[in-house]
Amino acid sequence: MEIEIISFGQITEFINNQKIEVDGIADTNAFKQYLENRFPALKDIKYKLALNKNIVQQNTEITNRATIAIMPPFSGG
Amino acid sequence: MSTARYNRQIILKGFGEEAQQKLLRSKVLVIGAGGLGCPALQYLAAAGIGHVGIVDDDTISLSNLHRQILFTTADIGKLKVEIAAKRLQEMNPQIGIVRHPIRLQKNNILDILSRYDYILDGTDNFESRYLINDACALLNKPLIFAAVSGFEGQLALFNVPDQFTPGTNYRDIFPIPPHRDEVPNCAENGVIGVLPGILGTMAAAETIKLIAKIGLPLTNKILSYNLLTQEQYTVSITHGDGYTLPKTVDEFLNMDYQDTSEGPQGYTEIDVAELVKLQQLESTILIDVRERHEVPVLDKQIFIQVPMSEFGTFLGKEFYQKQVVLICQHGVRSVAAAEAMQERYGDTKKIYSLKGGIIKWRDHFLKS
Repeated sequence: MEIEIISFGQITEFINNQKIEVDGIADTNAFKQYLENRFPALKDIKYKLALNKNIVQQNTEITNRATIAIMPPFSGG
Repeated sequence: MSTARYNRQIILKGFGEEAQQKLLRSKVLVIGAGGLGCPALQYLAAAGIGHVGIVDDDTISLSNLHRQILFTTADIGKLKVEIAAKRLQEMNPQIGIVRHPIRLQKNNILDILSRYDYILDGTDNFESRYLINDACALLNKPLIFAAVSGFEGQLALFNVPDQFTPGTNYRDIFPIPPHRDEVPNCAENGVIGVLPGILGTMAAAETIKLIAKIGLPLTNKILSYNLLTQEQYTVSITHGDGYTLPKTVDEFLNMDYQDTSEGPQGYTEIDVAELVKLQQLESTILIDVRERHEVPVLDKQIFIQVPMSEFGTFLGKEFYQKQVVLICQHGVRSVAAAEAMQERYGDTKKIYSLKGGIIKWRDHFLKS
């Protein structure tokens, strides 16, 4: 299954925008687990996922060619 | 009152006299007269928002000027709200401008916000942003949110319902505030002046669209903007459930917004005069938590260097001094260090953080 990852802010420092080919990731909970294993720095910061341009509020099924955005909060002004 | 000043937008197809009247009747509060607030204020005042409030308790400093474009070099040291109000009033004498030279806190924010129809958040820290979010949600005030980090920005509208979703708020995206040292801010991390200029202008545009009821405001959406690529990415927001929002004034007043001025904490924020006093005590250790490459370089005999990146290792050590004074560039990281020390050493040591950091007390550090 192909998933496109788009990252923002300080997260771009350790996760580039990329397309990944993975199997066995059926939903957003599993994807979160996968991300935090592969990029442990993510465990220490607040971030939100958006699946196909919708904020993920509960575990949601991921289908082939999904786009997942990883967004940190900004406070600067 | 003549609307000749607004002729070019009144004749615009899809805007017109009616939209202009809506702007003239509206009351908008801009919180923070900084990098976001300055351009937002300029366009809101120029467009004829009838009643503009400005909140900021800060004074103008030299390092503000590359992005806070209402201010000049001669204004350094003066209150931001005073200068901003004066410039805006000169630009548009037809509108009312109200100065609020205060810091918003739990005990004053509801009163001030309730005097306005729309709130624009151009602050620069998470404490203020969560405070403003919760107050706006409680009062059901439309909130225009803009923020920057590095070369990117975020823009959103909260508490504005659309036909499918009741109004969402910031906690629907980020339920819990990040810890102080989790996300770098502009003072620590730097910011290119034009970026808050763009985001502040976009926030003013959203405010105008919302009031004039034109186009498609970013209702229940958050837009991410990247200056380096000129790309935008918009995400739809739905309601989340992993947070508590105060539902009553009492609940609001009982929330913890990490106001350093309120509530107990295990360390004390001090000014440079107190630093000098502590320095004279034998059992005081002064620690500079900036990274080794940062300038100005301080006398390493006096200020022990323990960069934040090495702070964890240092925390394991024992040392005899009873007073610990932590300093950094702007007094943000030193607070994070103070919290970490408090956790490690508890009441066995007295912990201090220099408020405003080396930059604020530059004259003191450069002469010594």
